[in-house]
Amino acid sequence: MNDMHGILFAYSSNFRLKELTEHRTASSLPFGARYRVIDFMLSNMVNAGITDVGVIMRENYQSLLDHLGSGRDWDLSRKRGGLRILPPFAYALTTDNKRVSRDASPYRGKLEALQAVGAYLDHIKQEYIVLADGDLIVNLPLEEIFEQHLASGADITCVCSSKRGDGLDAEASYARLGTRGRITEVLIGAMEEGIFPLLGVYILSKKKLTDLMAENSQHHNGVHFTRDILQRMQPHLRLMSYVYDGFSTRLRSVSDYFEQSMNLLKPGVRSDLFYRGRPIKTKVRDDASTYYAPESRVKHCVVADGCVIRGSLENCVVFRGVRIDEGAVLKNCIFMQDTRIEKSVELSYAITDKEVCIREGRSLKGHEVHPIAFSKGSVV
Amino acid sequence: MKKECVAMLLAGGQGSRLYVLTANVAKPAVPFGGKYRLIDFPLSNCVNSGIDTVGVLTQYQPHELNAYIGTGQPWDLDRLDGGAHVLPPYMTNRGSEWYKGSANAVYQNIGFIEQYNPEYVLVLGGDHIYRMDYSLMLDHHKETGADCTISVIDVSYEEAKSFGIMNVNPDGTIYEFEEKPKNPKSTLASMGIYVFSWEKLKRHLILDEADPKSVNDFGKNIISNMLAAGEKMVAYRFSGYWKDVGTIDSLWDANMDMLLSDEIDLFTPAWRIYARNPASPPHYVGDNAVVSHSLVTEGCEVYGHVCNSVLFNDVTVDQGAFVEYSIIMPGAVIGRGAVVKYAIIAEGARIESGATIGAPPGDYADEPDRWGIAVVAAGVTIGPGRIVNAKQMADRDEL
Repeated sequence: MNDMHGILFAYSSNFRLKELTEHRTASSLPFGARYRVIDFMLSNMVNAGITDVGVIMRENYQSLLDHLGSGRDWDLSRKRGGLRILPPFAYALTTDNKRVSRDASPYRGKLEALQAVGAYLDHIKQEYIVLADGDLIVNLPLEEIFEQHLASGADITCVCSSKRGDGLDAEASYARLGTRGRITEVLIGAMEEGIFPLLGVYILSKKKLTDLMAENSQHHNGVHFTRDILQRMQPHLRLMSYVYDGFSTRLRSVSDYFEQSMNLLKPGVRSDLFYRGRPIKTKVRDDASTYYAPESRVKHCVVADGCVIRGSLENCVVFRGVRIDEGAVLKNCIFMQDTRIEKSVELSYAITDKEVCIREGRSLKGHEVHPIAFSKGSVV
Repeated sequence: MKKECVAMLLAGGQGSRLYVLTANVAKPAVPFGGKYRLIDFPLSNCVNSGIDTVGVLTQYQPHELNAYIGTGQPWDLDRLDGGAHVLPPYMTNRGSEWYKGSANAVYQNIGFIEQYNPEYVLVLGGDHIYRMDYSLMLDHHKETGADCTISVIDVSYEEAKSFGIMNVNPDGTIYEFEEKPKNPKSTLASMGIYVFSWEKLKRHLILDEADPKSVNDFGKNIISNMLAAGEKMVAYRFSGYWKDVGTIDSLWDANMDMLLSDEIDLFTPAWRIYARNPASPPHYVGDNAVVSHSLVTEGCEVYGHVCNSVLFNDVTVDQGAFVEYSIIMPGAVIGRGAVVKYAIIAEGARIESGATIGAPPGDYADEPDRWGIAVVAAGVTIGPGRIVNAKQMADRDEL
């Protein structure tokens, strides 16, 4: 048992995900043949013994709500605590608690989002809080990170990736590390080498969080956690890093989605992400096993349950309930839940969203950096 | 609260004809069809038929079965009122006794049934593979005004000699029950699925318990006694896939049937078979793998050849391994270059590199009696290059 409470920020405006986020947020994007992106952080928390998780939402969250349900599939349907869904109110509060007009967009940053759920924060009974993004794909040893947090006497422990970034991603934030993992500088979208990308996973005490929020609203009225807390207050804080060297990713564009899905074909990525001691849980669908017909040819593919495969597949990620008919030749594709590929279809570098149907004999080719994406329910 | 119909699932049997496969688990907990345990079929049938109160009578090696059923959540049987209840034998102020037979098991739980004050009780076995809408059978029971309705299936004349056979009047009422008749008068076999009007069943359970000569069995005692007492017994004809999986051969056979969608279509969303989910990742089929006419599920890693086989969750088939006409249960590992043919490899067994398990029947064409399905028991390791012959059962490590 430990004394942590989880808060997930399950929103992000990744407009470059285009077709894939037409009907959902990045957190509820299907990923890895049977998961939604949020399953990873949610399972990380549950696997660390966290029993109370709040999920802050902002827009397009219907599919996320549908996926999470009561939280039962993560064992978070609890009488006391469990999953707490935090959708936005029709208005936002400014950080000095004055109501702004009704048509104002709700929270612009994490700090503002936390401010908007102040009443919920007040009622958290655990001493420590883990803040994380719902769109981070990783299998973290959160319990170990928590132990390090306690041992290091950090004000905030920030999880970094060991894959040293080049600082070229304008949306990402980075940490420069001093001795013994102390963070000496926090950078945002910096053009520098040798800095460690921040994964957006933070552990801090509830008291520290509320103190920092109060200080922020008194002096700066900042809205972003990274910029207005970590970066601005870094000189006054003991910021420690935990450097994780396994696989982690975020999906920021359609080509990102394609590339990271294909990464799942690598054994090292699968063993990092699906480490058996910390299983990733998801909504159970009760499909039968996948059936491979005698005429099927399948090579180097990751496949979920409930599929009937009669065609040829190579380098594909196949979600639950996909049907692939005879004579189809499919290479480097991602087929989401209940996709239907009819006879003799030829596809390469394609992503089909849920319930897409590709009719008999169609032939379509995308390119590695520009995969074709078919939006949910479309018929070709 | 009152329930119209309560189901009692007889899950206490040892399943001794499955030998090493049921050494440590009750028969209803035996893995089946890639994702299931035998008990998932009657439990899912209950839920899909609208029956939400199920007593599961357990006695033999119950731990795995109890853990599997848990709160009943995977079958949507975690209810505020009703739901799945595991019912082991218990103690009273008059002492305690084991379940002496299937009828005695229900007798000892009259109190459980009476909590729901039901009109009807459905009695089921836990060792058959079939998909059936019990509500239609219940409707038939009500329409005919029967005291007991027995589900029957038409079998061949030869098969009839090994079943409990119902001899039926033209109006569908049963006039005679014969257990494994030498010269069957009919080919309607009892499927071990009964609907009783509860008041009648209760009376006969009490009478049966008072009879010191009774073996307290549903087929042998209750059904025969009810017939003798002139109760209205009606046959309910079922047509569709139904298979007893009481032996190694029939268990293997029924698993192979799951590869043919015309036998029982596991992919029909309208009548899903529910199971507890192991939370394993999607499976992976490697560069040189060949998978043909097989079922593969979550957590598997396939690098070798898998043909005409059923792989359960988290099975590994290494490079150059050959798996044919076999059933590989959860977590088993088939090592590099190992050959597994016509075999059942139980949970967590390890077949190490170059080992050979089982053989095709063609290899024994001269002496067919020596051929049979090879079995490796749960957790057993068969070392590199070792051989387990056809029909052999390996229940300890061979290193």
